Amino acid sequence: MTTTTETTRSAVHRAILPIPITTARALIIIGGALTAASAFLSWTWTSAFPGDLTVDGYPGGLQWLTFAAGVLTAVFGLAGHGIRGLRRLNPAGSSSAELLLAVGGLAVTWFTLGAISVELGGLVNLTVGGWIAGIAALVPVAGALGLPIEGEPGSATSRGSALWRHIKNHPSIKPTRPLPAYAEILIIAAVLAVGLGLFTYGIDTGYGELFVGFLITVVFGAWALYSAGLTDQLSAITARHRSVTAIGAFAAAAAFPFTQSSDQYTSIGVNVLIFATVALGLNIVVGLAGLLDLGYVAFLGVGAYTAALVSGAATSSLHIVFPWWAAALTGAVASMVFGLLIGAPTLRLRGDYLAIVTLGFGEIFRIAVSNFDGVTGPNVTGGPNGIPNIPDISVFGIDLGKSHSLGGFTLGRFSNYFLLMLLFTAIVVLVFTRASDSRIGRAWIAIREDETAALAMGINGFRFKLLAFALGAGLAGLAGMVQAHMAFSVVPDPYQFAGSVPPNSAFLLAAVVLGGMGTVSGPLVGAALLYLIPAKLQFLNDYQLLAFGVALILLMRFRPEGLIASRRRQLEFHEAEQPILQTTEEAGLTKAKA
Amino acid sequence: MTTTLTENSTAPEPAASTTLLEAKGVIMRFGGLTAVRNVDLTVGSGEIVGLIGPNGAGKTTFFNCLTGLYVPTEGQVTYKGTVLPPKPYKVTQAGISRTFQNIRLFSNMTVLENVLVGRHTRTKEGLISALLRGPGYRRAEAEARTRAMEILDFVGLAAKADRLSRNLPYGEQRKLEIARALAGDPGVLLLDEPTAGMNPQETRATQELVFAIRDQGIAVLVIEHDMRFIFSLCDRVACLVQGEKLVEGTPAVVQSDERVISAYLGTPYDGAPGSEEVAEVQAAEAAADGATSEEEDR
Amino acid sequence: MHELPQQLVNGLLLGSMYGLIAVGYTMVYGIIKLINFAHGEIFMTGAFGALTIYTYILPNGTSLWIALPLMIIGGMIVSIAVAVITERFAYRPLRNAPRLAPLITAIGVSLTLQQLVWAFYPGAKKERLFPQFGGSGFHLGAVTIQPADIFLIVAAPLSMVFLATFVMRTRTGRAMQATAQDPDTARLMGIDTERIIVIAFAIGAAFAAIAGVSHGLRYGQVDFRMGFIAGLKAFTAAVLGGIGNIYGAMLGGLVLGVAESLAATYIQHIPGMSHFGGGAWQDV
Repeated sequence: MTTTTETTRSAVHRAILPIPITTARALIIIGGALTAASAFLSWTWTSAFPGDLTVDGYPGGLQWLTFAAGVLTAVFGLAGHGIRGLRRLNPAGSSSAELLLAVGGLAVTWFTLGAISVELGGLVNLTVGGWIAGIAALVPVAGALGLPIEGEPGSATSRGSALWRHIKNHPSIKPTRPLPAYAEILIIAAVLAVGLGLFTYGIDTGYGELFVGFLITVVFGAWALYSAGLTDQLSAITARHRSVTAIGAFAAAAAFPFTQSSDQYTSIGVNVLIFATVALGLNIVVGLAGLLDLGYVAFLGVGAYTAALVSGAATSSLHIVFPWWAAALTGAVASMVFGLLIGAPTLRLRGDYLAIVTLGFGEIFRIAVSNFDGVTGPNVTGGPNGIPNIPDISVFGIDLGKSHSLGGFTLGRFSNYFLLMLLFTAIVVLVFTRASDSRIGRAWIAIREDETAALAMGINGFRFKLLAFALGAGLAGLAGMVQAHMAFSVVPDPYQFAGSVPPNSAFLLAAVVLGGMGTVSGPLVGAALLYLIPAKLQFLNDYQLLAFGVALILLMRFRPEGLIASRRRQLEFHEAEQPILQTTEEAGLTKAKA
Repeated sequence: MTTTLTENSTAPEPAASTTLLEAKGVIMRFGGLTAVRNVDLTVGSGEIVGLIGPNGAGKTTFFNCLTGLYVPTEGQVTYKGTVLPPKPYKVTQAGISRTFQNIRLFSNMTVLENVLVGRHTRTKEGLISALLRGPGYRRAEAEARTRAMEILDFVGLAAKADRLSRNLPYGEQRKLEIARALAGDPGVLLLDEPTAGMNPQETRATQELVFAIRDQGIAVLVIEHDMRFIFSLCDRVACLVQGEKLVEGTPAVVQSDERVISAYLGTPYDGAPGSEEVAEVQAAEAAADGATSEEEDR
Repeated sequence: MHELPQQLVNGLLLGSMYGLIAVGYTMVYGIIKLINFAHGEIFMTGAFGALTIYTYILPNGTSLWIALPLMIIGGMIVSIAVAVITERFAYRPLRNAPRLAPLITAIGVSLTLQQLVWAFYPGAKKERLFPQFGGSGFHLGAVTIQPADIFLIVAAPLSMVFLATFVMRTRTGRAMQATAQDPDTARLMGIDTERIIVIAFAIGAAFAAIAGVSHGLRYGQVDFRMGFIAGLKAFTAAVLGGIGNIYGAMLGGLVLGVAESLAATYIQHIPGMSHFGGGAWQDV
């Protein structure tokens, strides 16, 4: 009810550009089509720019992105026109979706043109086709700016900030009747397939410029879908079919190695999975229980070293070989024990002290392990050289180090490890969801929210904090085992607080916060992004970490609740923007009743 | 007013009123400061006991001694005959629940979740159980939810079970705090200034609620400043001033005790206007009022 | 054993450097409850700022004695500018966010600053040499004191005295105390808390710049990573001394410095561990 009150109350502003609405809509549709068409022209003379944009009549590389953006813009423009079946595309009826798509198309096109100019030395490298594309991309933006903006009436703010607020606005849609189950499941499957396709495309980008363009398109596209209210509808659908979504997601993930013709990018995939799983473990500690652990990566290290020690490697000081599942368990248990040892004395400390001490322990782990090399300490871990030459493990008799073929597809070494890691990820996800939605999870959140009140509710704060800590540690240890085998060796160096290569504690924390604390998909997405961005932006060379740092700052500035926000956190962060209609209405009602 | 008092003080009491919470000779010292001096207090089953006193009188400190937050320097607090454990969460497990003076809800959890947390001590499903999700777990969760909804219904918040608790209006947040405390199935409920910031209707509603709680068989100890509320609610009232229990008895007794009055209102100081002067001023004001109302009529 | 006095003095000197940095951490934390992870980088930029003055602005061959005050000023200008800018654009918008968001931002800022220097400062990809005082130290009994150390011996206590006076005697200082205790009430009392916060950042940065200069003088070089380890240790020192307590920060720094010095010398069987291990074990 409050939703309708909102929409009737919110008047319509003048548009940014004073053009009649029909013209505006036409511009969007035509502009979108033009932009898409311009992708078929050649944009540059030479093929020095990767992706071969020199051919007329066929889009190449980054042009595909422009094409996609243009098509989407045109389609949404048509939807805005009120064409029947397309109405469903924009349930919120918000014009910001079209604006975002148009701007996205503009951004990626101009980025490409700009990259061409910068890398090849000057605008002269653009053909007529390039110029056409650049101008064509402006058209839908102009059109979109001519659409009226929904906003709160009577606000005397400038048009710029009204526009900004309009874009940021969380769409409010009336809950729709659910579709028949099979239709919803089909939708979920389709979305997962698209997701897999995007993920594969992103990982497979051979050169950095394509990745950046891809990111731009995806970001604007996702934002537009969000503004159109589609993401909310999707959440509602998945909420109704949780198990199907989960199974589907894992099936999609398992399909990933099959989409790769070579093993080159699958290694990135495995690393992303490892990073993501560890982030999910950290999510229990930080996201649920609110414990600031800055040395978390040490648990990954413990798992890795333990697995290495029992792997039968020649350089390992323990000359035993465990089967894969025993190695995994041992790694997890070792980490858990480590977690208990660290947690017991420190979890009684207040939050910020805990941060420092965990940071210290993280570093101690690394330095200690580095020094147990027989010279400055007992030779357990091989010192700075670690334990090299770890043999591949065998799962049910299948040697993961060798390629196997399955139904015509070749699964290389990394693909095998990918699938193994996927199994562990599934376990971690299961643990996470079941734990968080239970009495234990509630206790953790209560402790995080207000520990004194939680104590008054009968919750043994210390015991639960220790539980969260140890559990998180154990899960990280599980992931460590795969990392050890996959990387052939373990060395102490990567397990630091901050460095240029993930995983390290700072990046893990960033992944959790960025992705969205307390959610399942949040850290997974955050980890994927944080791993891929530095890995893909190699062409920035010297500036890649710089860009990364700036990206962190910007992301925190504009979306501190993370990319995938649990409902709670969104409200937490954007409370100021929420209409206060609800509370005042109720207050009025209670007064009337009393 | 007096009639309501006598009605309440002669309300039917259970035949054998067993002592539930007993504080004997509690002394609380912080370094050189003695915050609570030798206070005795008992709360029996079916009773509503009030604790009043000016700010800084040591009420909250004493309260904290009753909830395990502080361990008394001397003396002891027992519940059902056993000395209170020194940890707050154990005290709650034993059967004493409390609310807070400044509302301490879990603001980012829903109303239902808040109450479920309150139910924590009466459920025991651990991590393994949660991970395995066996039938025992499901049953326990369902029971917890049912009980939580019952309690929400009892306080009148059932319709808002899925609201984020921070979005509730103030009066309802207070109710939620009480509901959360009730979820622990306490034998004694300690309320710390439950009507702070409330208007008369809300205060009356709270009073009804406390009576209803008492009727459920839960004893209640209330700290309050709202005298009307306390005196119309409680069977017995104790007044704490500067750490000492000044007087304890039925509301009528305490209300008319001069020491209590002077503790709250202060004693007249030398040179203060005597009663004749007070009467003169009142007469003059009445005359002035009459004059102005005549003017207005014109 | 005869090394003990020397080690003690070394420890105190090292410690006062940590202490100066720690003061910055503690001031910012005391006022807005933020652990400014980037503070180590402020220390680093202060050092580089001073280096810039010497190498690029002053004519070649200027005596260090004359250049030093200018270098200090230059370093302070840079570090204060960096601190104020980061406060304004990175931290202020997140003032009301739960503490993790500003933390991540601080990590981002730290990374950005490191990389900015690495990428854009000429020759910063390796260490840059910092001007040194000539001459050998002079001896006080069993202890040798380098000329470089004299700077610290003078600067550190002076700074602390200045800070103490500022906080206790001036209006702004008292406003700072009020804001640290209860920002909302302070605002109601008419204190411009935003300005106070900026001042806190600035003072912390200035102190860090002094520490940066002394680091350069002592070790003869500066590099873009020096902020990281120093920052970590200084943060430990701040926590040790009671986070939010400026005198505690300096004290914590001194204790840490001495412990590190002594540990380095006396823990024989794991010497590699001492440098950080000394610092972190202190906490537990």
